Amino acid sequence: MNSILKVCVGQQAVRNFLKPTLETFTITSRGKKLLNPPPRKRLSPWLIKQNRVQHRDDLTPENKEFIQQVIKDKYAPSNNDIERFSPLKLDTIEPITEWQPHYRRVGVIAKKIGIVPLWLKNGKKIITTMLQVSDNHVIKYIPPEEYKPMISKRKTVWPRTMGCLIVGAESCDPQLFTKEYCGLFNDSGVMPKRLLARFSISPEAALQPGTPLSASHFQIGDFIDIRGKTIDRGFQGVMKRWGFHGMPASHGVTKTHRRPGNIGSGSHKARVLPGTKMPGHMGNRYRIIRGQRIIRMNTKYNIIWIHGDAVAGATNSFVQIYDTVLPFKTSKALNVTPRFPTYFPNLQKEALPEELFADDLHNFADPTIIYTDE
Amino acid sequence: MNIYISFILSRQIHTSGSFNYIIKMTRLRVVDNSQIGKQAMFEGKPPKCIHIYNKLNIGYIGDKILIAIKGEKKKGILVGLKQKQQAKIPKYDSNNIVLIEDNGTPLGTRIYVPIPHILRTVLRQKTYSKGADYTKLLGIASTFI
Amino acid sequence: MAITGKIRLNLQFKKPLRYFLHDSRKISTVVSEKINENLKESNNERLDNTKLPLELLDYRFKFAEFLPDPNPLHRNKIREKLERRDMLLRRSNVEIPEFYVGSILAVNYSDQHAPGKQNRFLGICISRTGQGLRASFILRNVIDKMGVEISYFLYDPTIQKIEVIRLEKRLDEELFYLRDAPPEYSTFPLDMRAKIHAHGTCVPINEIKVPLNPLPWLQRWERMNMKGIIDCKSMVNEKRRIKAEYKIHTKPWEKYDLMKMYRETIPIEEQKEIFAEIYSSLQEHEIHRLKSKRTRSLVKPIKTG
Repeated sequence: MNSILKVCVGQQAVRNFLKPTLETFTITSRGKKLLNPPPRKRLSPWLIKQNRVQHRDDLTPENKEFIQQVIKDKYAPSNNDIERFSPLKLDTIEPITEWQPHYRRVGVIAKKIGIVPLWLKNGKKIITTMLQVSDNHVIKYIPPEEYKPMISKRKTVWPRTMGCLIVGAESCDPQLFTKEYCGLFNDSGVMPKRLLARFSISPEAALQPGTPLSASHFQIGDFIDIRGKTIDRGFQGVMKRWGFHGMPASHGVTKTHRRPGNIGSGSHKARVLPGTKMPGHMGNRYRIIRGQRIIRMNTKYNIIWIHGDAVAGATNSFVQIYDTVLPFKTSKALNVTPRFPTYFPNLQKEALPEELFADDLHNFADPTIIYTDE
Repeated sequence: MNIYISFILSRQIHTSGSFNYIIKMTRLRVVDNSQIGKQAMFEGKPPKCIHIYNKLNIGYIGDKILIAIKGEKKKGILVGLKQKQQAKIPKYDSNNIVLIEDNGTPLGTRIYVPIPHILRTVLRQKTYSKGADYTKLLGIASTFI
Repeated sequence: MAITGKIRLNLQFKKPLRYFLHDSRKISTVVSEKINENLKESNNERLDNTKLPLELLDYRFKFAEFLPDPNPLHRNKIREKLERRDMLLRRSNVEIPEFYVGSILAVNYSDQHAPGKQNRFLGICISRTGQGLRASFILRNVIDKMGVEISYFLYDPTIQKIEVIRLEKRLDEELFYLRDAPPEYSTFPLDMRAKIHAHGTCVPINEIKVPLNPLPWLQRWERMNMKGIIDCKSMVNEKRRIKAEYKIHTKPWEKYDLMKMYRETIPIEEQKEIFAEIYSSLQEHEIHRLKSKRTRSLVKPIKTG
């Protein structure tokens, strides 16, 4: 038996078969590809259950005070970046500050706080959206080798070149969350965050967990992509969802004033074609608006003004913003150097001014616009 | 007298919903002193829009339109609209037109109502060399706002 | 059982009811006669409790655009703060006077299309809307027998000067019915001279009532319950008159809708915060304006003499 095996192994074809090859595996696609996939009802695979049931603990005021004191002691040095990192737990990531055009930087989580008009220097009124980068910290870095998101549309997965950086926004009281969720923040040493988001980055743009991110991550004139969840409108009819005209109110029409009418033929293809516009759930989908220009910035309150009013979601909802992928609007195409890997206030000699304006934007502190004859 | 009464009666009846923009069959008001325009307004038979020379088929300020007036086809320019305007652009109480010939020369010699300043820019943009010169209209305007 | 239920209800609603009826009404942005009367009576009491200067109580009418949006879903404190800062910066460059719906204004503004790159319009303010930087107003006038309306943004940087020709109020909060009124009620000469309003005196209310043109109208005025229209219900036919009294149009339940009132009004504590923040800079502008006025009045006699 052994001799037969040896002979087999010795042969070229079998040896090639047994050789370790490039690691590929397939993932079956789940569900059909729809025009508007329904929202997922489960958590993202990399996210642990967040909120816990708030039991009535009947704590005395002294005990409550004591808990607050413990929390304060644990997360007190959050202002000081150096003390927080324990080198025993984590490998320190030294930031590479030299920018290459093919690098991909991290994004930030922001809050859409409203839409206001501003004026250009030629007197034209524009509509802008205000986004507040609220209390962002880097939570975790996953290198390309370890980064395996569970769901992938591609059937064959090649070795990854992009890593992943998890960013959190809005520090909260840890008592609100489950023990496991709070455990996510042990390595970075920041307070548990209400929101987490992951950004795929090139490994050179990796950041040390615990690094704060601010609005100064971007510059005036940059173009950004904004990903947000649209307003949830529930199950809607065809007139509201797709803008159909409906049918007349009178002239013998009965019970079909807001209905779609015909949805397909009966002879050749006697079925409803996929993608037919029909009633259904409207909103509550992630939508990305690309190539929005930053025209104003406030570094004290971490606020970005972008030109346009089409950001998904209502006021006070959260969005993710990152460098645009549109080829003619990237920093490579515009030939500018972004702040890479992010803006470090400690390394800069001069602090940024509080208000930053684009060249063509009117500052309200300036005098009245007066046109001159040419 | 009969004409006057019929004009009053006809104002009481609306056969279609009110639009705040200029489309085909919209009734307009001639505001210059051209003979045909004056007569049509006096008789209580205001002209109707029958075509709009743009791709939207909705008339905005400064657009050229074709109108039916007293059984004739004439061209006119919209010089004031009832619909809601942007800030600093005037909104009027009626839809006003000034009658012009094909080469842009106005039929009348005077415009009775104020003309918005923005028409200077709009009409200059629409005028092209060797074509119709619409800016002649600005010469007969009495007031600008 | 019934009694206990009642008691519970009372306990539950006692505080909010008291709050609405006694505190919130006085400081609500809703203008009505009753509230004004109450205010006059109880001004002294309130001053003791809240230590608000008398001026700050008027600020909610005078500088209404500094208050947050009436829709609570559109509010955000940081945005409002930054907007207020921009508004004050703009106010330091151009004097934006106190005016109300019904006041007659003249606006000088830079206009690219005009020959001198400058333009002027005079008219009666028929509406004032919007909070923050998007605050705007509409002026109406009749020029050459043609009604004209122009809307302006209050904080538009092309506005060079806003003159108040007549500082007065009307009976209604918006005067869109002037579109359906005879032209003489909205005709004002473009070279109208300004009447100086004495500083510190209260704003007069012009109690003029306007007759309407015969039908058709732009809106169903008989349903609107406007105080400034003379008897529009007698002008419509029987069917429209009956329809106007439908509950769906008169909405008799709205005065009992406490939640609606609560949503639309800003509580006194928040108003106090907002106006305390802007009080000093507004005061500076005011002093600067009075000073410049005085110097102007001093210069004139020397010239003529």
